[in-house]
Amino acid sequence: MAEEPGLSDQYPTASPWPLFVALGLALSEIGVFVGLFPVAVFGLILFGGSIAGILTESGYVERPWPTLLGVGVVLIVIAAAFALWQVPVTDIALSNVGTGPLFTRLVAVAAAGAVMIAMGGVASVMEQTAA
Amino acid sequence: MVAGDIVLTGLMAVLLVGVAALLTRVENWRSYTPLAGGGAVTGDETAVINREKPAGIIRWLTTVDHKDIGLLYGVYAVIAFAVGGIMAMLIRLQLVTPAGAILGNNAYNSILTSHGITMLFLFGTPIIAAFANYFIPLLIGADDMAFPRINAIAFWILPPAALLIWAGFFLAPVTENMIEPARTAWTMYTPLSVEQQNPGVDLMLLGLHLSGIGATMGAINFIATIFTERDGEVNWANLDIFSWTILTQSALILFAFPLLGSAIVMLLLDRNLSTTFFAVEGGGPLLWQHLFWFFGHPEVYILVLPPMGLVSLILPKFSGRKLFGFKFVVYSTLAIGVLSFGVWAHHMFSTGMDPRLRASFMAVSLAIAIPSAVKTFNWITTMWNGRLRLTTPMLFCIGFVSNFIIGGVTGVFLASIPVDMILHDTYYVVGHFHYIVMGAIGFAAFAGIYYWFPVFTGRMYQRTLGKAHFWFSMVGTNITFFAMLALGYLGMPRRYATYQFDGAIAPLTQVATFHQLATVGALILFIGQLFFVWNIVQSWLEGPKVEDGDPWNLEDDGMLDREFQWFEEQLEADSPEKDPSLLADGGQEEQDDS
Repeated sequence: MAEEPGLSDQYPTASPWPLFVALGLALSEIGVFVGLFPVAVFGLILFGGSIAGILTESGYVERPWPTLLGVGVVLIVIAAAFALWQVPVTDIALSNVGTGPLFTRLVAVAAAGAVMIAMGGVASVMEQTAA
Repeated sequence: MVAGDIVLTGLMAVLLVGVAALLTRVENWRSYTPLAGGGAVTGDETAVINREKPAGIIRWLTTVDHKDIGLLYGVYAVIAFAVGGIMAMLIRLQLVTPAGAILGNNAYNSILTSHGITMLFLFGTPIIAAFANYFIPLLIGADDMAFPRINAIAFWILPPAALLIWAGFFLAPVTENMIEPARTAWTMYTPLSVEQQNPGVDLMLLGLHLSGIGATMGAINFIATIFTERDGEVNWANLDIFSWTILTQSALILFAFPLLGSAIVMLLLDRNLSTTFFAVEGGGPLLWQHLFWFFGHPEVYILVLPPMGLVSLILPKFSGRKLFGFKFVVYSTLAIGVLSFGVWAHHMFSTGMDPRLRASFMAVSLAIAIPSAVKTFNWITTMWNGRLRLTTPMLFCIGFVSNFIIGGVTGVFLASIPVDMILHDTYYVVGHFHYIVMGAIGFAAFAGIYYWFPVFTGRMYQRTLGKAHFWFSMVGTNITFFAMLALGYLGMPRRYATYQFDGAIAPLTQVATFHQLATVGALILFIGQLFFVWNIVQSWLEGPKVEDGDPWNLEDDGMLDREFQWFEEQLEADSPEKDPSLLADGGQEEQDDS
C-alpha cells in the first residue's frame, strides 16, 4: 500500500502536541494527587504549554503566549480559591510549605501557574519588541 | 526526602528541556496545514503540503490520522490482552490445587485485581476504539475524525494510564514493597479501598481516572464525527449498524465515565486528604457501590454494544443475506443503551438494600433481556436458509452468538433476586460474565480483526491458523467458563486464592475437579491465542498481498460496504497503470516508443 493515499492527504496528518498534552496531564495528576511537588509543577507546565501549542497549531489562537499566561492565571485562581476555602488563613505562609497535605499541593499548582505567567508574559513582551 | 525532591526536580527539568528541544525540531517540518476546525482558521488553507508524514517512530508519535491511531489502539489493546491473559493463566494455575499452587494470597489478590482492570479498561475499551477509529470514518465516508488532535490525545493518555495501573508490580521490587500492586479488586469497594495504605492503590486509581478521560474524549469525537462528518449519501436511514452501536456506546460513555472519574476523585480524596465521602460518618460505604455500578453496569454495555455491531455487520456478509430486521437491531441497541442506566443495583442485591428498590431493579434487569433476545433472534434468522461461508470471521461471529446465549441466559437467572441471593458470591457469576466478556466481546474482536485484516495490512492471514485459533478458543472458552458455572452451583465462592474449606460448605473433591477442568480449558484457550499472535504477526510481515479490493467476494451479494470500496481505491491508486485517470495531475503514462 502507498504510505498515505487516503482522503486524509489534504488534511494534517501529524502534530507533535497531542503526545505532550497527554503526558502533561498524566504527570500533573500524579504530581498533584500523590503530592510530588516537582512532578506537579513540571507536569502542569508541560500541560499548559502543550495546550497553548496545540491551540496555536490548530488555528484557534494566533499566538501561544497569551494562552500560556491565561492557563497560569486560572491555576493560581484555583489554588488561591482552594486555599481560602480549606486552609486556615494563619497557616498560609511560605514557611508552611511541606507541612499540610493540601497546602503544599496548592503551592505546587500556584508555582506552576506563576511560572507560566512569567513565561507567557516575558515571551509576549519579547515578541512585541522584536516585531 | 530533600535529596529525592532535588533528583525529581532534575529529572523533570531534563524532561522538559528535552520536550522543548524536540518540539523546536519537529516544528520545523511544518508539513501540515492548520485544521479548518471551529471556523477560526488563521493559516493559509491552500498551503502546499511538503510531506504527508514524517518517517519512522516520529510518524507514530505525532500522527493524527485516524487509521494510524486505530492501529496504535489495536497494538496497545493486543499487548494489554496478552498481559491480562498471562495474569488469567496465573490465576488458573494457582487454583489447580485447593492450597494454591504458585502464588501467595497477596500476589493472588494483586493479579486478580489487575486482570480485571486490564481486560476491561486496557483491552476491551481500546480494542473497540481501534475498530471505530479505523473504520467509522471509512464507513460513513468522512475524511477523518471530527477532531483529529483530540483523537490522538485520547490515545496517548492510555499508555501512562496502563503504566500507572500496573505501577505496583514494577515499583514493589525497587521500593522494598513500600508501593505494592493494588489489591482492591476491580470494583474497588469501600471501605477496603480506603483503608489500604498502599500508595499503589492511588497510582492505580489515577491510571483509571486517566483512562476514563481518554475514553470520554474519544466518545465526544465519535459522536461529533457520526453527526457532522458523514458523506452526503450517508443518512440516518442507511447508516451502517456498527456506526449505530458506536454512537450509542459513545453516548453511554459520555454519561458513565465522567461519573466514574468523579467517584475516583472522591475516593482519592478520602484516601489522601481525609474527606468522608465513603466513610460511615459521611456518605457511607454503600455510596461507593451505587456510584461505581451506576458507571459499572453501563460499562458492560459500553463493552458489548460495539461487538454486537461488529457481529451484525460481519455475520450477514457470510450468510449471503442482509441483516434480518435491521431497524429492530438498531432499536434494540438504543433500548439497551437507555435501560442500561436503570439496572445498576442488581449488582447489590445482597447488600441489604431496601427490598422494594431491589424488586424494581430486578424488573428492569429482566426487561433488558428482551432487546438482547431481539438481537440474538435476528442473527439466527439472518443465518436461516442463508448461504453460509464458514470463514474465520464468520466462525467467530457464530461463536459469539452461541456464547452470548449462554452468557445471556445465565444473566437472566442472576437478575432474579432469589437466585442471585444464592449464587451472588459464587463462581456462577464469574462464569456468566466471562461468557460475555471473553466468549462474546473477545470473539467479536477476533471476528473484526480477521474480517478487516486485508484492509489494514494489505495482506491475507493464514486461514488454517485462523481456524485453529477459533476452535481452540471456542473449546477452551466453553470448558473454562462452563466449569465455572458448575463451580458456582457447587457453592465455590469467588475471589478466593485457596479453597481448603470445610466439606460442609462445598464438596471439595468435585470443586477441585472443576477447578482443574477450568484450568485445562484456560490452557487450551492460551494455546489458541498463540496461534492468533503467530498468525497476525507472520501474515502481516509475509502474508500474500491482497490484489482484489473485494477479498470476501461481497459484491456478488451486493454487500460491499464503503470501507472495502475505499480499499479498492487504495489498491488502484497503488498501481496507476490499472487506471490512468488516477495519475497525478500533469502526469503522463510512459510512452512506449518501441
